[in-house]
Amino acid sequence: MSPILAADILTQFGVTPAKLIAQCLVFGLVYMVLKRYAFGPVLAMLEARRKRIADGEAKLEKIARDLAAAEENAKAIIEKADSEASRLIKEAGDSAGVLAERKKQDAVTEANSILAKAREAAKLEQEQLLGQLKREFGRMVVDATTRVTGKVLNSDDQERISRETATQVSL
Amino acid sequence: MFGLSQPLSLLPTVLANVAQDARTIPGLNFLPFLTDSLLVAAIVVGVVFWFSRKATTNMQLVPHPAQNFFEAIIEFFYDRIEGIVGPKIALKTFPLLATLFIFILVSNWFGLIPGVGTIGWGEGSGFGVLSEVEHPLFRPPTADLNLTLGMALVVFAVWIYITVREVGVWGFLVHTFGPKGGVKGLMGLVMIVIFFFVGLVELFSILLRNVTLPMRLYGNVYAGENVLHTMSSMLDGQGPIVSFIGSVLLPLPFYFMELLVGALQAMVFTLLTAVYIKLSTDHGEEHH
Repeated sequence: MSPILAADILTQFGVTPAKLIAQCLVFGLVYMVLKRYAFGPVLAMLEARRKRIADGEAKLEKIARDLAAAEENAKAIIEKADSEASRLIKEAGDSAGVLAERKKQDAVTEANSILAKAREAAKLEQEQLLGQLKREFGRMVVDATTRVTGKVLNSDDQERISRETATQVSL
Repeated sequence: MFGLSQPLSLLPTVLANVAQDARTIPGLNFLPFLTDSLLVAAIVVGVVFWFSRKATTNMQLVPHPAQNFFEAIIEFFYDRIEGIVGPKIALKTFPLLATLFIFILVSNWFGLIPGVGTIGWGEGSGFGVLSEVEHPLFRPPTADLNLTLGMALVVFAVWIYITVREVGVWGFLVHTFGPKGGVKGLMGLVMIVIFFFVGLVELFSILLRNVTLPMRLYGNVYAGENVLHTMSSMLDGQGPIVSFIGSVLLPLPFYFMELLVGALQAMVFTLLTAVYIKLSTDHGEEHH
């Protein structure tokens, strides 16, 4: 395409340097207006919103992590408390068993002691009664001997008869 | 039709009744740059400025409706740009690419507002009625080659700046002319020659972007203006009522088509620019 033909075409379409420059200036003005008042603020706002959403997402993830950790922690605490409670219950059970056993042993000991004392008391009483009976029997033998023999027995005889009677009587 | 005696012209015969060029405002001829398309471009700047201020005033993390709408557009577009040129280049090129898209889109759709191209000065055929609007007051800025060419030149300058900054002059030359494939020996020498010529073709195609980008956009919008103008004036001369009904009903389907074309052309211009930047900085992205 020759320059003359190109110039002819441009002339036919009304292209002149003045008009071309004026239109370029208008386009430059639109560019500056949009860049200054539209794209800058809008892109900044979009970026701010994107950042806010990202922050929100990060916070959500952190909350989810914290929640999971708290749940894990609570679970661990519950498990620990459960185990502690089981241990305490077992210890209380064991302690109660030991105590019951001790009490039982004490009761048995006490009962044995009471029984022993009772036996001792009974034996003592029996012995006392037996002694008393022997003495009574000795006195009756002495009385009987006195009546049968018609002789008044002195105290030594009475003592001797009573002792022999007591020796011979075995109850 | 052309007769044999007429000189052969490479330029097409103008069949449409919408002027190819933007016209200066009558009475303001001392300002040769102040055209009908520049006037609309200035209005578009005002609209864009007003809406951007409305959308970005008192911005909240929970957005108000205008902010929400604007943010949705910006975010959607940023994602697309980032997908094409990569996150690093997207930060640098997004303002330019988004400006291209929004400005072209609003300019294209502005041309569909009733009155654009039909209000102006011309030969009168009655009170307030013109038989032909010779000097329209408003013209879609993208139907003016001055704007589309200007944008393409700006894009080209930015493309050179980003390319040189990302890969350097030597990197660009190697990327364009260097042999690919790692072939060695005699075949390697042959490949050097081949890729040198491929590089020349590539260089030519790069320079040709300054023609294809503006002409594609201009051609589509200008053609759309012509279609709408032609359809709305198809029943002219059939009486005032028929002419009025025809001027309302006939272009109506094409308005929807032009809405689509306007969005599509804005997207094409912007995405092609993004692709051009991607192609030249791709090498740099791998190495940086």
